Amino acid sequence: MAASLTWRSMPRVSMFIPCTMDLLLPQVGEAAMILLKRLGIAPSYHPEQTCCGQPLLNAGHRAQARRAAKHFLTTFWDDDIVVSPSGSCVCMVKRHYPELLKDEPAWHTRALAMAEKTFELSQYLVDVLGSTDVGATHHGTVTYHDSCHILRGLGVTEQPRLLIRNVRGAQYVPLANAYTCCGFGGEFAAKYPDISGALVRDKAQSFLSSPADLLLVSEPGCLLNIGGYLHRHYPDKRVMHLAQFLIQDGGR
Amino acid sequence: MQARTQEFKATARRELGNALSQTFLSLLPPGFTALRQIGMSSFPDPDAAVEYARAIRAEAIARLPELLEQFERRAIELGATVIWTRTSHEANEIILDLARERGATYITKSKSMITEETGLNEHLREGGVEPFETDLGEFITQLLGRPPFHIVGPAINVAPEEIRDAFMAKAGLKESTTDPVRLGLAARLFLRDKFEHLKMGVVGVNMAVASTGTIINVENEGNIRMIKSSPPTVVALMSPEKVVPTMSDALHLLRILSRNCTGQKITSYVSFDSGPKRDREIDGPEELFIVIVDNGRSQIYQDPLTREALRCIRCGACLNTCPVYTKIGGYPYGFAYSGPMGQVLNPLLLGLVDTRDLYQACTLCDACREVCPAGIDHPSLLLSYRARAASDVHGQQTVHALLRRSLATLLAFAMTHPRLWDLGIKLARPLVNIAAQKGSINNLPGAQGWFACRDLPAMPEKTFRERWRQDHG
Amino acid sequence: MADTRGCILEALRTAVRLPPAPRPVLPLQPELILDRPQLVARFTEELSVQTGVVLRATDARDALRHLTETAKAEHIATIMTSTDSALAPLDLKTWGQTHNIAVHTAADFADREAFRAACFGAQAGITGADFAIAETGTLGIIFHANQPRLISIAPPLHIAIFTIDRLVPTYEQAISQVFQDKHTPPSQFAFITGPSASADIQAIAFKGMHGPRKLIVILVG
Repeated sequence: MAASLTWRSMPRVSMFIPCTMDLLLPQVGEAAMILLKRLGIAPSYHPEQTCCGQPLLNAGHRAQARRAAKHFLTTFWDDDIVVSPSGSCVCMVKRHYPELLKDEPAWHTRALAMAEKTFELSQYLVDVLGSTDVGATHHGTVTYHDSCHILRGLGVTEQPRLLIRNVRGAQYVPLANAYTCCGFGGEFAAKYPDISGALVRDKAQSFLSSPADLLLVSEPGCLLNIGGYLHRHYPDKRVMHLAQFLIQDGGR
Repeated sequence: MQARTQEFKATARRELGNALSQTFLSLLPPGFTALRQIGMSSFPDPDAAVEYARAIRAEAIARLPELLEQFERRAIELGATVIWTRTSHEANEIILDLARERGATYITKSKSMITEETGLNEHLREGGVEPFETDLGEFITQLLGRPPFHIVGPAINVAPEEIRDAFMAKAGLKESTTDPVRLGLAARLFLRDKFEHLKMGVVGVNMAVASTGTIINVENEGNIRMIKSSPPTVVALMSPEKVVPTMSDALHLLRILSRNCTGQKITSYVSFDSGPKRDREIDGPEELFIVIVDNGRSQIYQDPLTREALRCIRCGACLNTCPVYTKIGGYPYGFAYSGPMGQVLNPLLLGLVDTRDLYQACTLCDACREVCPAGIDHPSLLLSYRARAASDVHGQQTVHALLRRSLATLLAFAMTHPRLWDLGIKLARPLVNIAAQKGSINNLPGAQGWFACRDLPAMPEKTFRERWRQDHG
Repeated sequence: MADTRGCILEALRTAVRLPPAPRPVLPLQPELILDRPQLVARFTEELSVQTGVVLRATDARDALRHLTETAKAEHIATIMTSTDSALAPLDLKTWGQTHNIAVHTAADFADREAFRAACFGAQAGITGADFAIAETGTLGIIFHANQPRLISIAPPLHIAIFTIDRLVPTYEQAISQVFQDKHTPPSQFAFITGPSASADIQAIAFKGMHGPRKLIVILVG
């Protein structure tokens, strides 16, 4: 919970759209915006945001990642809350920014402050807004894959499930091996295609062998990975981001 | 052991296509999760039990030199001989000399990863002393000339037919059988003879208790107790990080070791040896040699970050929970240590240049860190190796590394200059979408890795940012 | 070598180190509050899961009755036994003579080689046990001149005979007695939980690898 937030009368909420989402899945970013608007939050969007720097850090380019981090910190400095429909970006901010900037005290302090006020989408909805029912409707059986960053990096498991279960008409079934990595891992998927392919195949099989006709994920990387595999091999099978699912209104 | 860490990709591909390996590996994650649940439920507070174990290992490493000195002092008081060696070669030489001096034409040894790391078996064999592995799994891999598949079950994936053939050729098996129990019996008979006439045995050390000078070994098979009981000379080989402060600490780690990994509450046998045998005892070692081999650890210790890798208690939980390991098994890691703990340790022992794939081939999923009872943060360590390798101008792939670094700098520049970022996207879009069909891309030159089994959405005409600008002026 | 030792320790000592953080609180094991009958039940239950057999005997005579039946069932002709003081009331040599079973102790052999050969040739080994740990059905045995090591590891059957007062709840009670600061610890102490085992071939578990195939406990009192 955000215990140390400095609340104004109307907290300034801003959306961080992951670069993968900005470039390849803009409709998901828009869904996230629509979702928060429906809940009475009007998040701002700073067009000068670019990338949280995680791909650089993961490849070992710390100095370059640091620059991206500082840009992020500057971009969102005046906001009270930063929300992102991505666990890996939020983990980057919460867990890696302070360590990355540990040798620059002023930036380190800023990073710590940012870590306190940055949330993954479902975490923000349930833990901060106290919203577990967003008024959505869906007729069908659905299941959910836990991304590693959201599950282990942020410790968020119940929040997405609560949100899903409260969608009118939706039947939630657990996914076998939900906690197992889908094999994305950023560059890993491209550098180790044999292993990544085996992992995403397993993940797809878990979905296919479940009674669900829709798979939900909260992570753009997982979405591209699993979605890309399904599109190639099982094009009739549907996967979508939680944000898109939660704005479905049954045709209203 | 000869390192084959550079064959990671090829070996991984081979193992992914090996039906027997895959069948066995697929059972590991659910089996392990279930067993661990049962095992850890014997603690009134499993989370506290894990935290306490982590604290013990943190202290053991923080106080390493003091604890080593205390252990050595107590062990010597009890009549053990403690020998320090800097390199694998020195340790192997000492053990060979001890065997020769005592007229031992063979030795039997327990499963010990440090002996695999140092390559003890090859050294002994070349020196005319035949080493017999006695742990069933190690005995099998020794006969087949194979590295360990898993640190707890080194031959667990090997087909019984292969074991039968090896046993018939080299272990005195007379009647053909593929029944694991009867194969085990054949190994028992063959090795029993070796135990009975043993002059010198070699064991590893699970824990070295500083306060009492005691070495502790855990096992199920009884081979370690045999080795510590039968011959007049016993050599225990350990790396420095095996020390734990007190016997009470050792007991807690003992509980955690089995329950966190195999779900056993405790192994069949745990033996605590404090010096050689006393007067009037008719069995047990007249001489107990404890050989401490450094092999780079005091160097690893210098960096507080890499030092954390020394906390490992070899429980194997990280292997059982790793999405990569449970797809490829132990062979691709190419050295004594596999799975996440191997990815963390092998680069420190063998250098970053030859172990590139070990610290790259990780999705950073955190499953290992979460389950580790010793408190190792494997993903952070791997990221630090990547950082070190990326900034190492004297590394092997200099041109390649230089190009990657330049690209990273360019990207970082674009990330901090939004207009350049936007421009870059506009320029990239037509190139990325060059082969797009119906909103999807199924191949791009230079990106066969991704597209081998997946498609990618074509880059939409406008990014989120561009749409936002359009809608909001 | 002295130089190697010094170099290694010096390198470790001079590395930058922080003192370790204080230990978190660890709750006590629940077995500590078990009473005697519960300890027996728990010990038996745990050891039985490992295929250990626990036989109850009211006194030494009853214990010998169990022993006789066991020897018959397992076709025992030669037994090695320790001369642990706890076994003295059984007078195993006499028992052996009565039932035509060769019973040997360490004293019967001129040297360790002969003793060793006898242990590898015997069908059973009898020891006492210093502790019976309810937590996991574990025997705690101190090895010393009257309790040789090979007797409980070489023969295919291990029989442990001891009185009920040896029962303790957890490992700590055994270890704290064995490893007291003021005394020299024994050369070897062992926890024995069932017979030897392996699952190294295709993860198929079986009992009886290098150590005994069977463990029988005769609990007296």
